Amino acid sequence: MIAGLKPRRAAQAGTAATGRDADTEEQPARGRRAGRKGRTLLALVLAALLLTGGTLLVLADRTAHAPGAANQALTDGEQTRRVIADISDALTTVFTYTPDDLATTERRAHDVLRGKAAEDYRALFGKLRRQVTKQKLSLTTRVVRAGAVELTGGKARLLVFLDQRAKREGAKATTAAAQLSITARLDDGHWTITDIKAR
Amino acid sequence: MTDTGAVRRRSAWSAALLAGSLFCGFAGWTYAHTRADDDLAYARDRDSALDAARRHIAVLNTMDGQHVRTSLRAWTKAADGPLADELRRTGDDSAKVLEQEGTSTRATVTDAAVTALDSRAGTAKVIATVRVEVTARTGKSTTDRKRFEAGLDDNGAGWKLSSLSAVPVAAE
Repeated sequence: MIAGLKPRRAAQAGTAATGRDADTEEQPARGRRAGRKGRTLLALVLAALLLTGGTLLVLADRTAHAPGAANQALTDGEQTRRVIADISDALTTVFTYTPDDLATTERRAHDVLRGKAAEDYRALFGKLRRQVTKQKLSLTTRVVRAGAVELTGGKARLLVFLDQRAKREGAKATTAAAQLSITARLDDGHWTITDIKAR
Repeated sequence: MTDTGAVRRRSAWSAALLAGSLFCGFAGWTYAHTRADDDLAYARDRDSALDAARRHIAVLNTMDGQHVRTSLRAWTKAADGPLADELRRTGDDSAKVLEQEGTSTRATVTDAAVTALDSRAGTAKVIATVRVEVTARTGKSTTDRKRFEAGLDDNGAGWKLSSLSAVPVAAE
């Protein structure tokens, strides 16, 4: 925007320098030539100043709005810690259940899952519900590592490593690793999950 | 008439030059201020660390079974500090084993996040998920999914991996 303005202003300075030549006709030729030379020099200096200034402003603008400059992951430590804590907490409860208390898990899922994540979860849980009660399955999820990839305004992307311990009544528990890419949205002051992708 | 005209012209030029100088000075100050902005510098470091981590982690999980030594050289280039030392130490032995097996792997980093960053010390921690396509000498291929935690440092030559370890499932 500034860059677009700058050549025009420089050009105006140039015409101003030559356009007034008519006024100087009474002066001796040498003085007139010196005056013209001086004005040309001034016009060049002015043009150089405007060009340099304009370029610097464009560079400053580009630095301030570089891709990633708006991303507050880690740069805003407090917000980063908060989104990681909220989402870790949400994932832990949503993927933890016992056959006797499926309702708690579902209620919690209703609170923290939105959009596609909620739909996917409902579909999964619908299939799972019978199995869980019939085979007395329980699942305990623990967050092992978590990091924010992006945090901009009320939106965030996270990568979370989970350990999931599954147990069927009468059988030995098995622990498996799971890695999830999470898309999250700040909803009424609480971080909610809008998409979950297994990695 | 000419005098007043000349005076007016001169003052107009002075004003224009002054304005130009002020504009240029202001622009310079703005640029210097933006460059020195701590948050922006920190964000740049974070993004370059993440970018380097993604590339280097992919390299360290990729092996050309036909050109083992070339792959191992790439590994050493992606690492420094303790990891580079270890790679150099084990390089010859691993090369022999790998050449014998002839297995090729191709890795893609599917997601990654910076979990810690100290700009001043030039250290960072990154977690990453990797999909590895393993192709045996026989041509049979399988896909493996792995999760890693990597340490990075920047000793002036850009971010490199100082450590890389799989994040295991916690023991019971």
